[in-house]
Amino acid sequence: MTATPLPDTIADLLGVEGFLGEAVAMLLAAALVGTIMLTMTAFAGPWAKRKITASFTDRISVNRIGPWGLGTIIVDAVRLLSKELVIPEGVDRPAYDIAPIVLAGSALFAFAVIPMGSGIQLADPEVGLVFVFAMASIASLGLLMGGYASNNKYSLLGGLRAVAQNIAYEIPLVLTAASVVLFTGTLQLSEIVAIQQNTTLVTLAGVRIPAWFAFVNPFAFALFLVANLAEVGRNPFDTPEAPTEIVAGYQTEYSSAYFVLFYLGEFVHIFLGGAIIATLFLGGPGGPFLPGFVWFTIKIWAVYLFTQWCRSAIPRVRIDQLIGIGWKGMLVLSFANLVLTAAILGVTGI
Amino acid sequence: MSTQKEEETEGADAPVAATEAGADGDALEALVSEHVLEREDHLNAPGFVIRADAVQDVLSTFKEEAGFDHLSCVTAEEHEDRFESIYHLRKYDDPTQEVSVIVPTSREEPVSETAEPVFRTADWHEREAHDLVGVEYDDHPNLERILLPDTWQGHPLGLDYNQDKPQIVTFEENKNPLEDHERAAGDSDTMFLNIGPHHPATHGVLHVETVLDGEQVADVNPDIGYLHRCEEQMAQNGTYRHQIMPYPDRWDYGPGGIINEWAYARAAEDLADIEVPEYAQVLRTMGSELCRIACHMLALGTFCLDIYGDFTAIFMYAMRDREVVQKLLEDLTGQRMMFNYLRLGGVVWDVPEPREEFFENVRDFLDELPERLDEYHDLITGNEIFQARTIDTGVLDAETAKNYGVTGPVARGSGVDYDVRRDDPYGYYEELDWDVVTEDGGDNYSRLLVRMREVEQSARIIEQCIDLLEDWPEDERNIQANVPRTLKPEAGKETYKTVEGAKGELGIYIRADGTEKPGRFKIRSPCFSNLSALKEMSTGEYIPDLVATLGSLDVILGEVDR
Repeated sequence: MTATPLPDTIADLLGVEGFLGEAVAMLLAAALVGTIMLTMTAFAGPWAKRKITASFTDRISVNRIGPWGLGTIIVDAVRLLSKELVIPEGVDRPAYDIAPIVLAGSALFAFAVIPMGSGIQLADPEVGLVFVFAMASIASLGLLMGGYASNNKYSLLGGLRAVAQNIAYEIPLVLTAASVVLFTGTLQLSEIVAIQQNTTLVTLAGVRIPAWFAFVNPFAFALFLVANLAEVGRNPFDTPEAPTEIVAGYQTEYSSAYFVLFYLGEFVHIFLGGAIIATLFLGGPGGPFLPGFVWFTIKIWAVYLFTQWCRSAIPRVRIDQLIGIGWKGMLVLSFANLVLTAAILGVTGI
Repeated sequence: MSTQKEEETEGADAPVAATEAGADGDALEALVSEHVLEREDHLNAPGFVIRADAVQDVLSTFKEEAGFDHLSCVTAEEHEDRFESIYHLRKYDDPTQEVSVIVPTSREEPVSETAEPVFRTADWHEREAHDLVGVEYDDHPNLERILLPDTWQGHPLGLDYNQDKPQIVTFEENKNPLEDHERAAGDSDTMFLNIGPHHPATHGVLHVETVLDGEQVADVNPDIGYLHRCEEQMAQNGTYRHQIMPYPDRWDYGPGGIINEWAYARAAEDLADIEVPEYAQVLRTMGSELCRIACHMLALGTFCLDIYGDFTAIFMYAMRDREVVQKLLEDLTGQRMMFNYLRLGGVVWDVPEPREEFFENVRDFLDELPERLDEYHDLITGNEIFQARTIDTGVLDAETAKNYGVTGPVARGSGVDYDVRRDDPYGYYEELDWDVVTEDGGDNYSRLLVRMREVEQSARIIEQCIDLLEDWPEDERNIQANVPRTLKPEAGKETYKTVEGAKGELGIYIRADGTEKPGRFKIRSPCFSNLSALKEMSTGEYIPDLVATLGSLDVILGEVDR
């Protein structure tokens, strides 16, 4: 199942060689992956989010521009980018400017090693999983920079909350992922996908059910889903933004293009969360009939839908409760999960 | 009537000076005789004129020895020869027991003793009296302007206030109105945070000055007045008969319009001695309860907005159901918010034709309501996260609530069994079968439960009203009493009457001066008193709880600021 990384495929197609050729192929491949993610974000942000929320709350939502209101995407992009970039007095300049780029960049960066199916994967390092978590965590730095540099008390509170939350939930997240690694014995993402896809869990009436880790260890899957909600900051864990409490948290003072970057970064982050869940627990791009990339897209949109559902239906926990749940609940459960998995694997010798 | 409160005042503890028909003036006078200068009874209560330095003595005697534990309102007014502060006292156990304490002061030196040590609620009420009328209160802890900006010149309800004189404040003087509110740099353990006047969770233009210790609230001080529209003065410039009635709709636009109108109607009808036909009373009762449901739906939706954090499902569901009520109110009154439906002596028109259709629409709504409420209980009150967020937060105990003059669902959520509809019956409530809802928790969760259960009770009342209206003989459908075109209650007549608004006790004080316009028109807003208790409820809690508590108080700034 391990496919050649995308840059090599492109290099072969174009017939370029050598250092320069590889560089061109790399850039092209990166541009392709970036475009895919940005297109999905463009759909998700101005359009799908509204439509989904509207369905949950008995409303109609955008339907005037283009079929199903799809023209809104263009209108919104123009609207957001044509706004004045207001930079308040007393902001900490380099940090204030870098923060949105760090946030949006870190999430996109992590996509480099995600196998999206149909041969779309920029690189496949042996430490793929660790790379993904490392990149995703850099986002916290962006949030803190934005919150601290904005010279606004609400932003400061939001930034502090974001860091407290990410630390509290990063550990359960990584520990739960580690329990998957115990099964696979590798950190290479393509291998993790391949093992899930090629192992058979059961065969029911002639239909082979692959051993996706969501089926093998549903407990770990549930833990990861919850921790991921905190990681991407969606209800019940959207305290860093918490519109009714601290206005907009770390992004209070950002407008225009900077705001777009924050907005975009958030959505890419949700998709990244979906991509990690799909890769670790849902067999990555695997699935019957349809091409791998289509399956992969369906899976990350399913996770996206889940976050939107939570956003519409679940109250937000308080910041102290959130930290309590993280350190006293999630951490203990994820350790229990890890130890149990290790014990069971050791005994059964799989 | 099943709503009769249990007699709690029986036996040896029975407070002195209580009779069946209200407070016994002579017995009360005996209690404080050394301070009483003269008797000046109001239509609703005996009134005592006392010396300006005996306010605390008299009020605490009434509170301790006669059981008048509710300072409902403080009215200040300026006469040709004196200033006057009137303290309207009543009992939480029985609001028909009332007494007015009148404190005159000279025009040259309008200084009177503060009542704040006896009733905490006097703090805000006296600040308002100082702000609008210009009475000074000795020993008041914080006698600043409350509704008008700090830079305002003059007292607009005073007699020699020149309305045409522009308020000139130089830019330098008012460059940063919040400058004084910042604290010294040395006090760096805490952070000062302005929540509002533009903030997603203040439900209007409210400014909450907050001092934070980390995420915890060390001190909180609501700063109001951004929506002050001179409602009292506008009412004083209108004629009783027609020109005042549209204004009450603008106080609690939750929309509690019909209830607000009723507050004015009740006071004015008492003043002019108007009997309202029974049929009109039923219509008023039904309209009020429809308004109450709409208000509570809004309260529910916005409270959940504060807890959930976005315009989420529950907010939209609450709006959807409120919309049905608004449609009914529109059918009845012709308007969605600014009803102007009541007239002195009745209502403006009968149920719309065809009557059957209107009744059927109301019945449809009432039939669906239990299902809707079950859905809310599933979504909100049954949710563990929601319970974790609201139970034991924003706690207000019954004693503190009474001290702050808190009424309505907020008081009933703290176990104060007080409802003007039952305790001081008006309209048709006495004839109907319904219950007063109380909860003992005193927290945000209890207040929400009280509102949700009150919706059920309101539905019961409406159902009975509909039955009554349907069977009412056609030739007895009298919607208005005969009221003269011009009303001129005789000079010196004064009354203070209250109704149970969606937020609590909504009171109107009117002093007639012999013309066709009120000499003094004072609005006692329930939200105003309820909001003053925010500090007690939120200090020491987290910011999210402060926001939730504010939401659970259900303040409408239009009513707070008037």
